[in-house]
Amino acid sequence: MKRFFIHVYELTAFSLRFFKEVFLPPYEFGEFAGHLENFGSRSLPLVSVIGLLMGLILALQTKPTLARFGAESFLPAMVAISIVRELGPVITALVVAGRVSSGIGAEIGSMKVTEQIDALEVSSVDPYRFLVVPRILAGIISLPLLTAYADFLGIIGAFAIMYISAGMNWQLFMTSTITSLSIADIVPGIAKTFFFGFIISTVGSYFGFKASGGTASVGKAATSAVVFASFLILITDFVLVKVGILIFG
Amino acid sequence: MIDIINLHKSFGDLKVLSGLNLSVKKGETFSILGKSGSGKSVTLKCIVGLLVPDAGDVVVDSMRVDVNDRKTLSEIRRMIGFLFQSGALYDSMSVRENLIFSLTKHDKVERGEASGKAEHYLTLVGLKDAIDKMPSELSGGMKKRAALARALVIEPQILLYDEPTTGLDPITSAEISELIKEMHGQFNITSIVVTHDILCAGIVSDRAGVLKEGVLKYTGKLNELVKIEDEEVAGFFRNPL
Repeated sequence: MKRFFIHVYELTAFSLRFFKEVFLPPYEFGEFAGHLENFGSRSLPLVSVIGLLMGLILALQTKPTLARFGAESFLPAMVAISIVRELGPVITALVVAGRVSSGIGAEIGSMKVTEQIDALEVSSVDPYRFLVVPRILAGIISLPLLTAYADFLGIIGAFAIMYISAGMNWQLFMTSTITSLSIADIVPGIAKTFFFGFIISTVGSYFGFKASGGTASVGKAATSAVVFASFLILITDFVLVKVGILIFG
Repeated sequence: MIDIINLHKSFGDLKVLSGLNLSVKKGETFSILGKSGSGKSVTLKCIVGLLVPDAGDVVVDSMRVDVNDRKTLSEIRRMIGFLFQSGALYDSMSVRENLIFSLTKHDKVERGEASGKAEHYLTLVGLKDAIDKMPSELSGGMKKRAALARALVIEPQILLYDEPTTGLDPITSAEISELIKEMHGQFNITSIVVTHDILCAGIVSDRAGVLKEGVLKYTGKLNELVKIEDEEVAGFFRNPL
């Protein structure tokens, strides 16, 4: 338990450093572009499958219950609100955390144990500015876009179920979906993914930097990164949902 | 050129350095000998500010190493080439990228010119054909050569070697040691070589010292150290590992 709070304390200091370093030159545009590709483009196949399945499963599960109350026509609205407000952002973040946070932890961890981070320092390159800042920026920018994409695919998945089982046409489905969604659903849903993106990159980098000794610590860094990032995503989600309700009702 | 004054460093209860003093003149190559865990690498890391000593000072070319003075520290680091024990080549970059990284980052050398320099230094260490290989494609000896070329490409005034021959077979070790000696002759670099390889120390050093109990117990030319009538030091020369 003590170790957990030490991690929380050190991770907070590690995260806060970003806000100081992000404005200082040199700006690592090349590194940023590379991480944007890794975080964003390379996560697309996984996010596509997860997004689509999310809509398919949610529609499949909900349809019989709504049918029992004669409220089947509410399904597009219910699925859209559930996905846009909660499931899309959280599931996308958890899936991307599993892929990216562990990757960052392992990559930076292996650089740490093979003295590559020391080599950067000796070359007068600030490892935090070179390795961490571009990754966090890539996370903050990529995750909202990935989430919007996963939301869209989730809605398509729900439509597929409605089309196959109830013959609902695209126009009716989309009209029902769009009219049910309001700014109060979309803004909090997307806004929290900026926080999740920040968490995924920061936690991965932090555990990478904590690696020491041999290769076993690299594996440990990757595992700890996923576990801690997932935990923080859910805690942050809980807090942000509460804040969202206070602001948007 | 490098002055280490009364250096102390502990890790928890483990006292590693307890008042180390050393002075290395410009153009000189000094080898620090000692058993594993005697504090040789810690000394090197204190010189470049990777570790902060508990007490004492390190002065490089009249500038005090102080991790809180980032500007001076950066100036000192840009005078120093560091050959890490593992080579520490950036494994996401090719050998060429490893060499031009520092040049393009700090010295704002144009990429074509930096690439030419990289080729020149890789030719010097006999690794020109591996310029576009990734570090994972290189053997242990090739990695050391590439790391040496990376340390040399910034044209440093000082070179620090952390176990340059560890993990290599005797023939490659001798080749690397000869290469280090050749580079020193060519570029008049001030060097500190940390090693427990007596053969390497014999080839490269002008002077050497034995690090024992946190201090340099004996310093002098290597052939003088061999004659010292201290059972532990003699034992170290008989069985350096």
